[in-house]
Amino acid sequence: MRTTLRRVAVGLSLAALTATAAACGSATANDDAAAGGTEAPAASALDGKGEVSIDFWHAMSGKNGAALQQLTDQFNAKNKGRVKVNLQFKNTYDDTLSAYKAALNSGQAPDVVQVYDIGTRFMIDSKSTVPIQSFVDVDKTDTSDIQPNIAGYYSVDGKLYSMPFNTSMPLLYLNKTAFTKAGLDPANPPKTLDEITEAARKLTVKDAGGRVTQYGFGAALYGWFLEQWTAAGNQEYCDQGNGRDGRGTTVKLATDDHVKLLAWWKKMVDEGLAPKLDSNTTTADNAFTAGTVAMTLESTGSLGGFLTSTQGKFEIGTGNYPKINATDAGGPIIGGASLWVVGKGKDDARKRAAWEFVKFLADKDSQATWHTSTGYFPISKGALETEVDKQWVAQRPQFQTAITQLQNTPLSKATQGCLLGAMPQARKAAEQAMQAAVLSGTDPRAALQQQEQAMTGPIKEYNQSVAG
Amino acid sequence: MTAPTLTATGAPAGHVDRPPEGARRTARPARAREALLGLLFTLPGLAGLGVFVVFPLFQAVYLSTRGNDILGNPTRSVGLRHFHELLTPAFGTVLWQTLVFTVLVVVPGVLLPLSLAAPMTQRLPGMRIFRTAFALPFAYSVSAASVVWLIMLNPGVSPVNWVLGLLGLPAPNWTTEPGWAMATVVGVTVWMVSGFNLLVLAAGLAGVDEEVLEAARIDGATGPRQFVSIVLPLISPSLFFAVVTTTLTALQALGQVQIMTDGGPNGHTRTLVYSIFDNAFHNNNSNFGLASAQGLVLLVVGVLIAVVQFGVLERRVHYR
Repeated sequence: MRTTLRRVAVGLSLAALTATAAACGSATANDDAAAGGTEAPAASALDGKGEVSIDFWHAMSGKNGAALQQLTDQFNAKNKGRVKVNLQFKNTYDDTLSAYKAALNSGQAPDVVQVYDIGTRFMIDSKSTVPIQSFVDVDKTDTSDIQPNIAGYYSVDGKLYSMPFNTSMPLLYLNKTAFTKAGLDPANPPKTLDEITEAARKLTVKDAGGRVTQYGFGAALYGWFLEQWTAAGNQEYCDQGNGRDGRGTTVKLATDDHVKLLAWWKKMVDEGLAPKLDSNTTTADNAFTAGTVAMTLESTGSLGGFLTSTQGKFEIGTGNYPKINATDAGGPIIGGASLWVVGKGKDDARKRAAWEFVKFLADKDSQATWHTSTGYFPISKGALETEVDKQWVAQRPQFQTAITQLQNTPLSKATQGCLLGAMPQARKAAEQAMQAAVLSGTDPRAALQQQEQAMTGPIKEYNQSVAG
Repeated sequence: MTAPTLTATGAPAGHVDRPPEGARRTARPARAREALLGLLFTLPGLAGLGVFVVFPLFQAVYLSTRGNDILGNPTRSVGLRHFHELLTPAFGTVLWQTLVFTVLVVVPGVLLPLSLAAPMTQRLPGMRIFRTAFALPFAYSVSAASVVWLIMLNPGVSPVNWVLGLLGLPAPNWTTEPGWAMATVVGVTVWMVSGFNLLVLAAGLAGVDEEVLEAARIDGATGPRQFVSIVLPLISPSLFFAVVTTTLTALQALGQVQIMTDGGPNGHTRTLVYSIFDNAFHNNNSNFGLASAQGLVLLVVGVLIAVVQFGVLERRVHYR
């Protein structure tokens, strides 16, 4: 009897544990009837309200988080008695967005939230924010200082929805020392896939035992890179004009360019010119800073970290993001994350306070501070002209590549980037295809087609869900 | 639910050893009060069970039949569509990988600490240091352990690869080769559960009566024979406990998969709980319906394993 009882009890608790795992994400429906409108209040909304305290959810950790804190302190000191911003760190972009979704349902949403570029369509569809354009129109703010390519990403139908904040674009990073040693010119980095292969053959070093001690090339199989390659080829990543003429219905994964790219990547691995890396960029970054790979792809945001961790070991050079074909005439998308002013359930004073803060973070002096302390690309043209910024770039000539690259990128639907509600899933799907082709040896076209197919369901479901 | 109503319930009339009239009258309310008190004591437990187990269970069943809007709110009924979606080779692979993962974690995760614990019960100088050192992984959180191992195996800076190089062995692609990726995640999980299991098993071994062993020795059972026939049955309660808790840990493993491989390469380390997490929270997904359906599958798997473990294994456990 005793053992039977215990058996039943433990068995039940085992079942119970698994059951809670099943239901821990039960979302509670809460239709907030009193949802705040999307109209922007005028500056007078703050009059006579005392100190308005607002919450800002962000995903900036480490050095970037410290810089954000510094800027926020500056803002709070300047607006004492009027606005007080409370910073709340919400871990990764993914977690921040998850938390925001849950908060909308429970009425605990913050006043300002930082969302990654691929969450843009979702944020618009959530109907919970006040478009930045409304504030701009009410205030008649001059937005000509914002880099047009950056504003391009967050603009739909000519309307700026969120304020770009931390932006970056990808570059080709090179180990300058290894380049010189291999008899290559680091001032003239490879520009296409073929040129990378050629350079990688000279850069790959083996030891006496035949083991590779330095690979010519190595980058994470990161979905963002695939999107960038597409834009560099001036191609659209999803239909309906990259989701900017209407709702996108398919992600164009199985294109000839993508097949060519993955076949090339697989060949690089097979030839022993590149190591097998997965989609984790940290792993690839470490391989580069350890000198294991001589060329890598990374965001401009990684420059500072790279320079610090390779100090005294080797020198770093940068090149434009490579192109799949020599004739490709596009340029990389400038993504990152942007700031959204939350309107749902917020009174005018809070909305206005949120806008004041966002405006402050976007101005040229804040952006110069932000750029020079984090390495993110400044969204303000004027920031690049400030003394502090000029000095910073002079000390890091590698960053000049990014500035030139941006100036040479034509603004088109292709370089604006794909806008899709299911974009985060689409990026993951692209990574699955990249991993299948490069790591498991699946035929590139088959791998890409399979993921393209797999994405049609989620995209359709998303579109249906927001349609009615 | 007050005492008077309970005393009002009629007692069986023809009771044989009925106490004398006066005693009975006081005993019955006392028993009722005891029952009520018992109920009162179990109430917090029942409430907890209701709020955290029974309610979520029904919630999961309800959610599994609903679609979701982009914020994750349940919308219209979709019937059994989510369960239908599970009848794919892809989900079969997930179940298979979960099984492989669980078996590969539980077997070495119990045997390895057992083989370490056996010599450790010897009263030798310095054993305490070893025991502490071996039990240390227990103190690691899943995420910390995963991140540390990811660095240990990073192709650029891996000390493990360096040692392999000294031995003249090729370094595998720890997290990027489908087979190796599973082995790596399994290995880290085994490393993590070993510390706790070592403590449990060492405690079990320390509790083995010297006299029993001596008697066995006199009867001629020494060495491996003694271990298998005498020691193992004596520590079987600890062993059983280790097996059950390790199975649970393996079945619910999420952090190490998410951090080390994110289910990759190309889904080769995708397990059931990772899949639930992926559908519900990852990559801005909010498919709570499908995730709940998968959660119910996890429930069934959990119950099946519990039936096997408690129906078959526990019968062989020797409780003193």
